[in-house]
Amino acid sequence: MGNPIVRRIAVIAGSSALLLLTACGSVSELTKQQVARSETAVTQAQAAVGSSEAGAIELQQAKETLSQAQNAIQTKDETQAQRLAAVAELDAQLAIAKSQSAASRKAADDVLASIETLKREADRSAVTK
Amino acid sequence: MKRIASIVLTASIVAALGACATTPKGPIEELETARAIVPQVEASPRAGVAAENVSAARQSLERANKMATSGGKVDDIRYAAVVASRNAQIANEKILNVEAKEAVAKGEADRQTVILEARNREADQARERAASLEQELADMKAKKTDRGMVLTLGDVLFDTGKSKLKPSAYATIDRLASTLKESSGRKVQIEGHTDSVGSDELNQVLSQQRADSVAAALMERGVPSAQISASGKGEGFPVASNDTAGGRQQNRRVEMIFTDDASRVASDGT
Repeated sequence: MGNPIVRRIAVIAGSSALLLLTACGSVSELTKQQVARSETAVTQAQAAVGSSEAGAIELQQAKETLSQAQNAIQTKDETQAQRLAAVAELDAQLAIAKSQSAASRKAADDVLASIETLKREADRSAVTK
Repeated sequence: MKRIASIVLTASIVAALGACATTPKGPIEELETARAIVPQVEASPRAGVAAENVSAARQSLERANKMATSGGKVDDIRYAAVVASRNAQIANEKILNVEAKEAVAKGEADRQTVILEARNREADQARERAASLEQELADMKAKKTDRGMVLTLGDVLFDTGKSKLKPSAYATIDRLASTLKESSGRKVQIEGHTDSVGSDELNQVLSQQRADSVAAALMERGVPSAQISASGKGEGFPVASNDTAGGRQQNRRVEMIFTDDASRVASDGT
C-alpha cells in the first residue's frame, strides 16, 4: 500500500471514477470555503516543513488529497469535495505538527549532547589538575 | 505509529474511489486503525495539550462505530474513521512536541548546573592552591613576624654537633618541598642558629652546614634552587637564654623565612 506507483494509479482511478459520476447540482459556498481553507493549510504546511524530512510525506499526501478535492469541485461532487478537502486540511495540520515535534526533539537531543560534552570536559580538567 | 500512519494515509484515496457499496466485505481497515490509535492518545497523561484533536478523534470514531453497527455506507464509515485517525495522529505529535520541549527546558537547567559545578570546582582548586602554603605553614606553627612567616625547626632535626638531617625531619621537609613547588613565586630563606656552647667559628660553620643541609633536602625534592637561600648565623641571634638547658635547646634551630616576590615578606598586609 505504501508503494507510490500503486498510490498514483489509485489516485488516477479515483479521479476518473469521479469524472464518470459527474454528479448533480452545483457546489455550495460552504464546500468552496472548505477547499479554500485546505489550500491555506497546505501553504502553511509547505512553509513549516520546508525541505526537512519530518512531515514531508504528510505534506505530499495533503497536496494530492487537495488536488482530488479540487477535481471534485470541477465535477460538482459536493460530498467528495467536502470530505477530501477536510482530510487534506487534516493532512496539512499533521505535517505541521510532525515538523514541529521533530524540531523540538532535535533541540532536546542537542541539549543532552551538550551536557554530555560539558561533563566530559569537566571530568578531564578535574583529572589533569 | 509509523506503520499505522502509512495505513491511514491511503484511506483518503480509498475514499476517493468511493463507489456506492453499502455492504462491507469483512472489516473496514480505516475503522480498525482508528479503533486502535484513538484510545492510545486518549490514554496519554499529556492528552490535555491536544484536547481539541483528542475530542474530535473520539467523536468521529463514535460516529463511525455507530454507522458500522447500523449498517451505514462504507464510504461514510471510512471518512469518519479517517478523520478520527488523523486527529489522533495530530494529537500524538502535539504531545510529543510538548514532551520534547519539557526535555529541552530540563536540559537547559541541568546544563547550567553542570557549568556552575565545574566553575565552583575550578575556583575551589585555585583557592586551595593559593591557600596551601599558608595552611601548611600555619599547621606547622609558623609565626608571622616582621621578617615574614617564620617556621622554626628545632634541634630535634639534627644530632648534637652534626649537620645531617635526621630521618624524623623528612616528613616536615616533604611537606615544605611540595608546597614550595606549588607556589613558585615564594622564596625561602634558611637560617641556621646555634647555642653559645663551643667556639664562635665552630658554631658559625655548624649553623651554615645545617642551613645548607635543609636547602639541599628541599632541592633534592624538586624545589628550584632560585627559590632557596641558606645562611649560617652562628650563635649571635639567640631566642632564649643560653644559661639553661631549655634555653640552649631553643637556640639550636633552623629558621625558615618565607617571602614572596611581590611583597618580599609573605605576611605583609595580612
